[in-house]
Amino acid sequence: MRTTSAILSKIFTQRFYIQNTGFFLVLFYLLFGVVNGANLVSYHKALMLGFLGNYSFLLLVMLLWTSYALKCVGFILKTFQLQGYDFLFPTLGSVGKPARIRLWLLLHTAIYMPVLVYAGIALMMAVQYQYYVSAALIVVLNVANCVWPLRLYERKLAQPDVLFFTGHLQRWLNRHFTKPPVLFFLYELLTNFPRRIVSTKLFSAGVLWLTFLIMERGEYFDLRGLQIGVMVSVMIHMQLMVHHRAFDDTYLNFMENLPIRLVSHYTRLMGVYVIMFLPEMVMITVNGYTKTPVGGLITVFCTALSLLILFRCLLYFPKMNPEIHVRYTMLTSFIVLFMILGHYEWPAILLLQAASAIIFFKKYRSYEPYIPPES
Amino acid sequence: MSDPVIALHAVKKNYQDVPILDIPRLELPKGIYWLQGENGAGKTTCMKVMAGLIPFKGEILLQGNVSSRQHPVQFRRLINYAEAEPLYPSFLTGRDLLELYLNTKGGDREAVRDISESMGVDIYVNNPVSSYSSGMLKKLSLLLAFTGNPTLILLDEPLITIDTRALTVLYDLIRTYSANGVSFCITSHQALDAEELTVTGTLKVAHKNITLS
Repeated sequence: MRTTSAILSKIFTQRFYIQNTGFFLVLFYLLFGVVNGANLVSYHKALMLGFLGNYSFLLLVMLLWTSYALKCVGFILKTFQLQGYDFLFPTLGSVGKPARIRLWLLLHTAIYMPVLVYAGIALMMAVQYQYYVSAALIVVLNVANCVWPLRLYERKLAQPDVLFFTGHLQRWLNRHFTKPPVLFFLYELLTNFPRRIVSTKLFSAGVLWLTFLIMERGEYFDLRGLQIGVMVSVMIHMQLMVHHRAFDDTYLNFMENLPIRLVSHYTRLMGVYVIMFLPEMVMITVNGYTKTPVGGLITVFCTALSLLILFRCLLYFPKMNPEIHVRYTMLTSFIVLFMILGHYEWPAILLLQAASAIIFFKKYRSYEPYIPPES
Repeated sequence: MSDPVIALHAVKKNYQDVPILDIPRLELPKGIYWLQGENGAGKTTCMKVMAGLIPFKGEILLQGNVSSRQHPVQFRRLINYAEAEPLYPSFLTGRDLLELYLNTKGGDREAVRDISESMGVDIYVNNPVSSYSSGMLKKLSLLLAFTGNPTLILLDEPLITIDTRALTVLYDLIRTYSANGVSFCITSHQALDAEELTVTGTLKVAHKNITLS
């Protein structure tokens, strides 16, 4: 007969390690793959002595450990919300509290184990080299990181509707703040697909950072160079556009029965992409305001937003699958690239805006998801 | 004779190349209609077409002069729809949806609050829909169908999944709204309770067409 902990371990622990195989491979490579095998022990010994003897470094390490603990907590809480995992509420809810706390502790420490192992070795080193304060800090932090999540798991069991850690804040927000439709898709990304939006934004920020770096190394600033960087940044957002269409198709069909003018639907669509591109606009402004006048920055923002909106509008052609979409966005980007290089930025923006509006107003009401015929 | 509450002219709906609906003409005077048909006959498609949720060929007129094509906004103000199996984004609360409907469809907020209380939706309206059971979700979608100032309310399988108290409230609402001139088109595989509702006519969906009997 399988024990409860064995079944729960299958649901939580095994799934965690399987889902995060890529993460652990990268982590192991960084920790053990970048150093010659013969120097591995001395490398890690030096690393540990480095953070044991320096409180700033130790603080950084402890922050990393805590962020891993947050990842573990997020995984367990999210499992409760997955489709088909509802049975966890009645089953775990029926277990007595002391036994349930032991189960939580077992599950949490099982997925927090990589940190515990590394921290345990560091602790032995700290005692051996008489870094007693550092040793105490490591013990306190790791005990805390194993204990505080248990309270969240208990709360989740009692309040299944709480999505974030701060249940009271969430309930207060729900009572006092109504989500406007322009934020629906962003909520969807942040609550259900955070990894997708974070990775997109990191890549996009990376491209912009590289663009500024190249121009700074070359000791020149050309607005066209920045616009090319921005175009690449826009193209990184394409997976989000395809997701946006799927989200609209699946969940926002009810909005078609609302008496909303087409122009309001279009404004909402533009709003989604303005908000989505805000972080990049802030980054460009911070890095570029001393190098180009405000007009230049506005040109860059308008180019980016026009491209984003057109690329999204292209998806109102029902048969536009991701593969065809890439082709059209590449083609559009090449045309816009040459127009930018020839200093025809504003004609390009106007053309993009006109094309977006024409497609949207012609297609929006007649759009419905395409179901490929069975072969 | 007064204008029909809804008139369908040459309405056709295909899914890819497969014809689902082909209704040459259908006019319904005010009243409560029971829309019947076998599974897959096209009842839900018909309702979605009438509610402006999916594109179609042809034209639908409400109150004789509000066209689905020429007055899309006014059209949607006059027709409300509650889905058989409603689906909303998980992070939205019932209140988010209710506010959205009230802001766009308008109507009497007090009346909607009363309905919300009588159906028991007010208890969970501030929670995200991801935490709702199918019955709670159904009650919310029925409540949304009574927002605004509709002339026609389409209810797709309203009798399933809701509790007996909510069912009594629903029958009561249909009677009250109907007495105030609102028409209803209701699909249900279960018979509508004759003691609770007097049905004006029965609509049968078969062979891609709808006939009134």
